[in-house]
Amino acid sequence: MIKKILIANRGEIAVRVAKACKEMGITSVAVYSDADKSSLHVRVVDEAYHIGSSVAAESYLDGDKILTLAKEIGADAIHPGYGFLSENSKFIEKCEAANIIFIGPSSKSVDMMGNKTTARTIMQRNNVPIVPGTTEGIKSYEDAEKTSLEIGLPIMLKASAGGGGKGMRRIDKIEDLKQAIESAKNEARKSFGDDSVYIEKFVENPKHIEVQILADKHGNYIHLFERDCSIQRRHQKVVEEAPAPTLTEKLRTKVTEAAVNAAKACDYYNAGTIEFLYDQKENFYFLEMNTRLQVEHPVTEAITGVDLVKEQIKIAQGDVLEIQQKNLKIIGHAIECRIYAEDVDNNFAPSTGKILHHRLPSGPEIRVDRGIDILSDVSIYYDPMLSKVITHGQNRKEAIARMNRALGEYQIAGVITNIHSFQWILNHPEFAEGSFDNNFLDREFIPLLPGKWRNELENKHEDVAAILSALLKDKDSKTKAFKRECNPDNKWGKDTYE
Amino acid sequence: MSDYMVSIDDNKHSLKIFSNYKVELNGKNFEVELSQLSKYSYLLKVNNNVYQITSEKLDSQNYTFTIDGSSYNTTVRTTLEEKANKYLQNKAKESGTEIVKSPMPGLIVKILKQVGDNVEIGDPIILLEAMKMENEIRASASGIIKSISAKENSSVEKGETLLEIG
Repeated sequence: MIKKILIANRGEIAVRVAKACKEMGITSVAVYSDADKSSLHVRVVDEAYHIGSSVAAESYLDGDKILTLAKEIGADAIHPGYGFLSENSKFIEKCEAANIIFIGPSSKSVDMMGNKTTARTIMQRNNVPIVPGTTEGIKSYEDAEKTSLEIGLPIMLKASAGGGGKGMRRIDKIEDLKQAIESAKNEARKSFGDDSVYIEKFVENPKHIEVQILADKHGNYIHLFERDCSIQRRHQKVVEEAPAPTLTEKLRTKVTEAAVNAAKACDYYNAGTIEFLYDQKENFYFLEMNTRLQVEHPVTEAITGVDLVKEQIKIAQGDVLEIQQKNLKIIGHAIECRIYAEDVDNNFAPSTGKILHHRLPSGPEIRVDRGIDILSDVSIYYDPMLSKVITHGQNRKEAIARMNRALGEYQIAGVITNIHSFQWILNHPEFAEGSFDNNFLDREFIPLLPGKWRNELENKHEDVAAILSALLKDKDSKTKAFKRECNPDNKWGKDTYE
Repeated sequence: MSDYMVSIDDNKHSLKIFSNYKVELNGKNFEVELSQLSKYSYLLKVNNNVYQITSEKLDSQNYTFTIDGSSYNTTVRTTLEEKANKYLQNKAKESGTEIVKSPMPGLIVKILKQVGDNVEIGDPIILLEAMKMENEIRASASGIIKSISAKENSSVEKGETLLEIG
């Protein structure tokens, strides 16, 4: 039985794991860098340890430091969250050697699936369809050029060790290939410490459909249906939902079966996700397997009632899966919006600062998984995702209406966020139909930047904003007339007087 | 009574404040009631319609509000400030240098152009790495690069001048 878990991550996912620990009566441990000393994940755990500087390589990515700490403090397991060490097979090996349970798959499975080219080879062998392209990293520019022309442009460059859009490039003209390989390799090296990139044919107008699976250490495999994560910009998911709005029962059976086969092909245990490109003509192509918890796992939790993090922990300590496939069914519909600290109209520039005001949405069927709270810092060192808003409804329409309400209630001050931009997505006819593909945002939204997308929204509150501006300025001009005395004895501090 | 001019995107609104409870917006009268809920949030009633608003004051003229999931950047000026601003804008048009500033804090990875190079609007000039993503800084005007103050492998703050196009 696991009694104490070190959470080797930060942000909303570390908070999420801590919540599961609390419910299971397990002691939770946070680790944090300089930049994160006031972050939420440090506030919600039972124990917190400072592990290094703000640069991830010297803190969250320093596996040896984390493992040493785990031994020192008597943690019997490490939960890696997503990103950072979650798909680092060498780290998992070290955990295995140190007799500390890694809450995830075996290093062997990660090796097979973590490297995208190896995964493609294995899938091809196990009759899981893959996107045409290479099953090895690019060896020379000449080879790359030859392959690209053979399978036909446009093509995609992808990092062999990759994920999350890092090191990924689309090539439309062969002249762009050389520069793209260089910059993709550069980004891949920085993000993953491995600069190998490979070539895949570009599938036109695909949907991103992925299947959540769970597998235990006793050979039991189940799937928890699919998610549609096609609302992306620059290959970063922005909105996810479950189930996929346009999938027929027949196609659902086809893709979930392929996913379970993929998991079996690498002797998988833990929660996992098999991503597919769906060409909307009944073909699915294996894209990659994520051998970890996903950012968007809450939508699956919402439609199945399963707590995936608790299942991960139970699987890791050797329990047999209690959930049976035949007892799972899709309950209603769920949507997730990722809230980023970014300035949509300024080329999505990351916004940094201190969270000065934070009011959460509440009410029926609304969930917020977050890494921020009042006075936490949003720094340049990490991913700009602040939180995720998840809504559930009896059907998709109700889930969308709830999302509109939830985002209307959600208030954040201190950094610029993308909250206001979701109105455009949620009220777009193509989104309502569910027919959107992966290029939806790049095709429909990006050309409306900066600012023009606002013209497509019903502008209900401009008068209110104008009135408030004048009232506040008027108030300012009147308070300037006298100087306020700051009383040093005030226990609330001098901020009260500003 | 005080007069204000509020700009939101390309729209201008003229406001008169008669008292704490009465305003005139673009010639129409409204009854208002404002209460501050916290340092950054307000409750505003406009003719009995209720709004909960998040507010950030950027400086004495610029505010950002969030109202029911929509965000508004407003510029509010007194009639006198509005006149002064128009005068300054006309002056700026006479000189013709475009200053490219960093849109975000980050690290300069690569500078793709040199002083004296001809650039078209939209041409990538600098690769900037922030939050583990490489971002292209593109030319915001066509012309010749007059100076580059950015240096490779050095970090820049948001709003820092990177180069000038003339």
